[in-house]
Amino acid sequence: MLGICGMVLADISGLWQSAWPAGTTMLGLGGLFAVVLLIASEKLKVEVDPKIKQIHEALPNIDCGACGFAGCSSYAKAVAEKPGLIGKCAPGGPETAEKIGVILNLQISNSGAAKRPIVHCHAHTDDRTYYARYAGIESCTAANALANVQACKFGCLGFGDCTRACKFDALHVIEGLATVDYEKCTGCGACSTTCPRNLIEMAPFSQENMMTVACHSRETGKSTRSVCKVGCIACGLCAKQTDMFAVSDNLARLDYARYEPTEQARTAMSKCPTKVIIYVGKTAEAEAAKESA
Amino acid sequence: MDTLSIYLMGFISIVLINNLVFTKFLGICPYLGVSGRIDMAFGMGMAVTFVVTLSGTLTWLIDHLVLMELGLEVTRYVCFILVIAGAVQLVEMYVRKFFPFLYESFGIFLPLITTNCAILGLCLFINLWGIDDFLEAVVLSFGAGIGFTMAICIMAGIRENLYMADVPESLKGAPITLITAGLLTLAFMGFAGMIK
Repeated sequence: MLGICGMVLADISGLWQSAWPAGTTMLGLGGLFAVVLLIASEKLKVEVDPKIKQIHEALPNIDCGACGFAGCSSYAKAVAEKPGLIGKCAPGGPETAEKIGVILNLQISNSGAAKRPIVHCHAHTDDRTYYARYAGIESCTAANALANVQACKFGCLGFGDCTRACKFDALHVIEGLATVDYEKCTGCGACSTTCPRNLIEMAPFSQENMMTVACHSRETGKSTRSVCKVGCIACGLCAKQTDMFAVSDNLARLDYARYEPTEQARTAMSKCPTKVIIYVGKTAEAEAAKESA
Repeated sequence: MDTLSIYLMGFISIVLINNLVFTKFLGICPYLGVSGRIDMAFGMGMAVTFVVTLSGTLTWLIDHLVLMELGLEVTRYVCFILVIAGAVQLVEMYVRKFFPFLYESFGIFLPLITTNCAILGLCLFINLWGIDDFLEAVVLSFGAGIGFTMAICIMAGIRENLYMADVPESLKGAPITLITAGLLTLAFMGFAGMIK
């Protein structure tokens, strides 16, 4: 028993005799590098602004790109350096801007209402005139390159480029017309930049439901009427009621920034001969029903 | 030959004739992985050049000053890996601190380079070829990096043009890349035997 123990011990000590220089050298080198790296990590420490992390947490983290940066993290970094970029987060809206303002210790002047898209066309398939049947690529951008796809050169084409651009499933083509689901919409503006006919405007929603002139046609009244049942004919009746409406380039427009649901605005809506002034918003249908009642 | 021409010969030899990628088949992973776009390829090449010069020099020093003195040549592999990993970490910290812009462009490649076999390969080759001159070791290390950069940039250039080529369905993607790599290697075999 004692003999075996002695042999094992002798083996171990033999191993130690031949291995210790290698082991110690490696340990020494490893230790040396460890110390060098430790000193370096202290000396070369890069102070990452804790605010950047806080801002990143305050953002919606959906990386939609509405702010114009690659994602929420790059926006957080940018906004920490340049507080002027603060209101760029569309999905987060004023709440996120306020949170970032608290982190950056800034006083936010009320940046106004959250922006939501308004589709400036109200013509469904039945309301439109077509010159020919389009059998090309199912894309607005492709169809828009052809001259006579649809009689109205301004109206919605209904091939759904905006639907594909929407990350939030908030835009659908219903009976040939792009229709926004305001419950799901975050206001990122992807649809607005995609539409080849620039029909979708990002408007400040000061009210739950906004009024709009749902037409984009700058043809004369006669021409518009000949191609579309629900186009704006620029008669100017709405502008006579209230100066929130104004007619220019054969098209009536509503100044969204000044919109208030006044009596005059409602009268203008009811007087519109082609019924192109409509409500848009989360409860637009209920609002319209209340109006007609 | 005088000293200068030895260095020059060594440099040309490691860049063209004994190119690590083309003749030793080292560093193939980044060579195929990061060669999709030429600017990325160049960034990777520069990062490798930087690290290989540093680690080639450091390992030569440690090999000659520590390991050979103590008769511990057997621990070269372990030791070199340690040196490379440590050097890369150090470089990463340094670049991040003093060249943030550079860090943005090739900093992401630096941790990957730790495991680039071209670098360990070069450190071991310097020893295998019996380079006893410190300056020659530095020149060879730098040349190896330049050779790698050249290889990966040529590859990226070809692959960028391949996007527009009408490649047969069955060869799309990895197969055509490997065929390209093979043909490139064959072309560089033409340099073999020019020196020594």
